[in-house]
Amino acid sequence: MTSTFFLVLRRAVLSLPILLGVLLFTFMLVRVGNNDPVGMLAGPTASAKEIDAIRAAYKLDQPVLVQFVEYVKLVFKGDLGMSWLSGKPVLGELLMRLPATLELVLLGSLVGGLVGVWAGMQSALNANRRFDHWSRFLSLLGFGMPTIFLGLALIFVFFFLLQWAPPPMGRIDLMINSPKLVTGSYLIDSLIAGDRAAALSAAGRLVLPCLVVAIVFAAPLIKQTRAIALDVMASDYVRYARAAGLPKPMVRRMIWRNASVPVLTYGATELTALFGAASVLELIFSWGGVSQFGLTAILKGDFAVVQGYVLLMSVIAIVIFAITDLLILKLEPRAAAGAR
Amino acid sequence: MNSPSAPALPDVPSGMGQLWRRISAIARSTPTGSIGLVIIALFALLALFAPWLAPFDPVKPFPTSVLARPGTQFLVGTDGNGMDVFSRTIYGARYAFGIAVPVLLFGLVVGVPIGLYAGYRGGWVDEITLRVMDAIRVFPSIILALAIVSATGQSLANVVLVIGMLDVPVFARLVRAEVLAMRAGGFVEAAVNAGNPTWRILFVHLLPNCIRGAMAQMPIRMAWAVRVSATLAFIGVGIQAPTPEWGAMIRQGADYMISGEWWVSIVPGVALVTLIIGFSMFGDGLEELLDPRRQKGSR
Repeated sequence: MTSTFFLVLRRAVLSLPILLGVLLFTFMLVRVGNNDPVGMLAGPTASAKEIDAIRAAYKLDQPVLVQFVEYVKLVFKGDLGMSWLSGKPVLGELLMRLPATLELVLLGSLVGGLVGVWAGMQSALNANRRFDHWSRFLSLLGFGMPTIFLGLALIFVFFFLLQWAPPPMGRIDLMINSPKLVTGSYLIDSLIAGDRAAALSAAGRLVLPCLVVAIVFAAPLIKQTRAIALDVMASDYVRYARAAGLPKPMVRRMIWRNASVPVLTYGATELTALFGAASVLELIFSWGGVSQFGLTAILKGDFAVVQGYVLLMSVIAIVIFAITDLLILKLEPRAAAGAR
Repeated sequence: MNSPSAPALPDVPSGMGQLWRRISAIARSTPTGSIGLVIIALFALLALFAPWLAPFDPVKPFPTSVLARPGTQFLVGTDGNGMDVFSRTIYGARYAFGIAVPVLLFGLVVGVPIGLYAGYRGGWVDEITLRVMDAIRVFPSIILALAIVSATGQSLANVVLVIGMLDVPVFARLVRAEVLAMRAGGFVEAAVNAGNPTWRILFVHLLPNCIRGAMAQMPIRMAWAVRVSATLAFIGVGIQAPTPEWGAMIRQGADYMISGEWWVSIVPGVALVTLIIGFSMFGDGLEELLDPRRQKGSR
């Protein structure tokens, strides 16, 4: 598949300026205002020796341009500096916590995506009927619920009132040993290890936060999918297909195929935003993923971690958009012709 | 100056005497939008008349009635400091509007001229502007806002500035798209040939014709601003605890959620959700009115 290869290559080249922009942003982050980058990166507990080490590593006695080049070099070597809170390298700290966030966001968005797209399509096909009214109402309600409030409200209802859900404290019961580390997802790892109790506990802990992610993802998706599908349905080719007497399932397939590309594009943008929303969600459920780690770093002023976290988030966004492009290529061969 | 397609307002006789008929016709054509507007208006009244409506001082603690249940001396109970939750929720409307309105203005005042200029100039100016705007939009907005606020110093003004900055690409993109569609129109060429300076072409000729999409998005952006600012306050950035802001109040009650004192979080939370839904409903209605394609009848 040469066309796929070229598209991936093109995507990678196009991503470079964005990555450079992100690097410039994180570089500026510790230098804006009257901030002293050494103090920001070293933290309040640093000794004189550590401060000197940072100054040397980032060439902070050199002109700003040299500093930036050094910074980019270090980042591409995988050296994101040290967290002054934990005293460990930032990259390792981030990657260690990434699976917990991925598990939460990907599982939640999978559920939310399927429900949202299905409800949006049904809404459009049954426009202004009862199903449409209900799904639009629920979409509006879901959109109005900020993550913070949705999470707390679900904890109140399902943990306190109904006592169905486990306490919102971490990814697995404290009394259960966490499974042997393979993927970093407790659910998958315990299934691999064949540990029934751990798998059940991990799955139970996942339900509520995943539900929040699913709702936050599905609500705007319903509205967008409905609008996109209605646009497609108003097009001449759908009208012609109907006039020509094509069976309903075929027309529906046609509508879905044509709506899928814009729906996918919108979903990808929303998915990147979910990683940000995950930070407060993880805070509420004591999840301990990378987004909560980044949030804590922001609040505590651990700027080496903040830089690394912002970088990681943008890399995730770039990867998501790249995968989306490839999927669009599969769905819409015309896009491939346009890309070259 | 020609307007490409007149706004799809209901066809009713205009004039001073007919004003209320016109309003009711619009209300009937978009009931969703009208309900939204009523909700917004109610909250605006709460914000304006908070000192007269609130039964207690929002930051006055009653040490003898900490975490009082709803329906006692206090309508919806008190929080962990013994402050009246009802009064605090009313005062919270002031913070919601006090942040959302300046945020919107900042986004418009900075974003609209950028969109106008980029669309009008085209070429590399347009290309670079678009790339920068896209780069901002790629980030999770909460993370971006948090990182900047914590690096530049935590103050309410900074929170407004940063959230407003995130609005800039939204408005710039909307206006730019309309300018591109409008640039080929004869009236722009006519204005250029008549010797108008660029600023006059942008703000007198193009602006009134290219602001419709941005206007339709304004309520949605307000909803977003209220949500993001509440989230920031929940985390404790910019606004701290005893301030009667909804997000900060939800945070105060977060720990009581698993011990049963639900009202501390739920009451301000319901206010927050209602206002956000009000803004989104009004936005949906406005979109229906301003975008002829999205009208119910045409489908």
